[in-house]
Amino acid sequence: MVSYILRKFLHLIPMLFVISFLIYLGIELMPGDAVDFMISPDEMATVSAEALAQMRSTLGLDKPFPVRYFIWLGNLLRGDFGYSLQSGVAVSTLVMNTLPATLELSVAALLISTLAGSFLGVFSALRKNSIADNALSIAGMIGVAIPQFLFGLIAIIVFVFNLGWFPVGGRMAPGQEAFLQRFEYLVLPAIVLGLSMTAGVMRYSRASMLDSLNRDYVKTARSKGLPEWRVNLVHGFRVACTPVAVLIGFRLPMLIGGAVVIEQIFQWPGLGVMFLGAVRSQNTPIVMMVGFFSVLLVLLASIIVDILTAILDPRIKFN
Amino acid sequence: MSSKALNKKMDMLLARELAGELSHSKKSRTLRKLHANKLAVIGSGIFLVILILCIFAPLFTRFSSTDVDLRNRLSPPGSVHIFGTDQIGRDIWARILYGGRVSILVGMGSAIGATIIGVSFGTYAGYKGGFLDAMIMKTSELFMSFPQIILVLILVTITGQSLWNIIFIFVLTGWPSMYRMTRSQMLSIREEEYVQALRAFGINDFLIAFKHMLPNAIGPIFVNITLSTAMFILQESALSFLGLGVPSNVSTWGNVLSPAQNITILRENWWIWLPVGSVLTIFVLAINFIGDGLRDAADPTQIG
Repeated sequence: MVSYILRKFLHLIPMLFVISFLIYLGIELMPGDAVDFMISPDEMATVSAEALAQMRSTLGLDKPFPVRYFIWLGNLLRGDFGYSLQSGVAVSTLVMNTLPATLELSVAALLISTLAGSFLGVFSALRKNSIADNALSIAGMIGVAIPQFLFGLIAIIVFVFNLGWFPVGGRMAPGQEAFLQRFEYLVLPAIVLGLSMTAGVMRYSRASMLDSLNRDYVKTARSKGLPEWRVNLVHGFRVACTPVAVLIGFRLPMLIGGAVVIEQIFQWPGLGVMFLGAVRSQNTPIVMMVGFFSVLLVLLASIIVDILTAILDPRIKFN
Repeated sequence: MSSKALNKKMDMLLARELAGELSHSKKSRTLRKLHANKLAVIGSGIFLVILILCIFAPLFTRFSSTDVDLRNRLSPPGSVHIFGTDQIGRDIWARILYGGRVSILVGMGSAIGATIIGVSFGTYAGYKGGFLDAMIMKTSELFMSFPQIILVLILVTITGQSLWNIIFIFVLTGWPSMYRMTRSQMLSIREEEYVQALRAFGINDFLIAFKHMLPNAIGPIFVNITLSTAMFILQESALSFLGLGVPSNVSTWGNVLSPAQNITILRENWWIWLPVGSVLTIFVLAINFIGDGLRDAADPTQIG
């Protein structure tokens, strides 16, 4: 077990090495270097070429590319992730300030989509080819086809402007930091993001439930005279759960990526909004480091899912 | 050889499905199957109507999508401008039609580009296996470990915004899933006897992979082309809506929608976002219907 987990983490290292190299390449590819950003354009004319060269060599910028990469990697390992080109704030500070908001939103959305999706999927499978089943599958198709941002905008019009149930955007009113106080801010974006992710789960759990209902063990359970709900839920659904859990594992990248557009529409102060701002202003260090963090999170999350499935499913061996 | 015959049968079904013939012929098919095919037929109809409207846009509107008319800003739908005008007086209907050209080009172009790369890699590497396959597999894992939209936006930062850059980025981020799908198909076809026979005859690897094996994997590939066209159209609209996709002077469905980020326009000028949003959604829905119909037709377990 321990060696299985260790091995998973060791597999991570070459991957992270390559990704960090690509990320560094991305930073280097942008025109200009740190010195160009440290000196304002009007001062640039007054600084002599020797002084510039001096600055570059103190910063290590005159060294060959591979050397600079390893210096950067060393800084990374020590927790120095670089600085914003505009404000000079450390990237790690920016990420740490915005990540909790994003995780709050996307974990809520993941919960909503998983619960709603598997409930609706099982419901349609049990009532296969009924009106409700067909209506749900058409609703699911529309849900996949409608752009996430349009869905968000319509939700704002209906629930914020017409019904006035929720505040217009943001994460909390000034001074309201307790979770219960800012709960009303979370509800609408989380539901919008959650529902836009529900259709996939619904389709998948309907299919795996149908598959499981056709199996012999379900027929056996029924022939033993068990009540129908017990046959469906205890014998059918339990086995249908495993592929759904795998699907949720695949959706983990969405925890970060899926929220970008919704955060922007609801002015949710998360990683996504910060990232979009950096993309707009060509703030390469931030863009690249957010990319790096999101890959890191995705890879760690997928390891956790692997370990969890190995624990849950006794057929998987630790080797 | 029986699998080849079956595949031929499937291909024929596929072709007839595309032509919309199957919806009212075959009585042997189940009711559910018929229902699914009906959706595919309706989908193809909507797809063609919107495609024709966009391609022959000048026939359906006398306005240009770029002419600014400051005296007619934000005018509601009426007899002159049937869907009204936007905040600088451009005709919305014209922008939807001309924007559709670009959005559909981005969607289809990227899907086809990603397919060509993914399928050629997948066909050859899936058949040959070995080092090449392992390398491409690792590369695709690398691409897939990024959340899609983050990767797209990183590439937008590096390449800058332009129509062709967006297509290039979509191709670059879209090929790995195509590759994996084709590869898994090839891995199962590789074990078939006819492939062993061809290999025993000493036929060139390229010929075996592309001429003899690829045609048997074509069904799922077509399903994937349609579904990724829909996905890229949605992605383009999201990027352009955020102002990070195709430059805003070019009309695309996402660019036409982007003024709706302004709360006042969102509340008071519904004609700016509702018509284009509906066209976009209906078009993507139609493509998904076609894709689902193709999937059912290509799935041997579902042929009645």
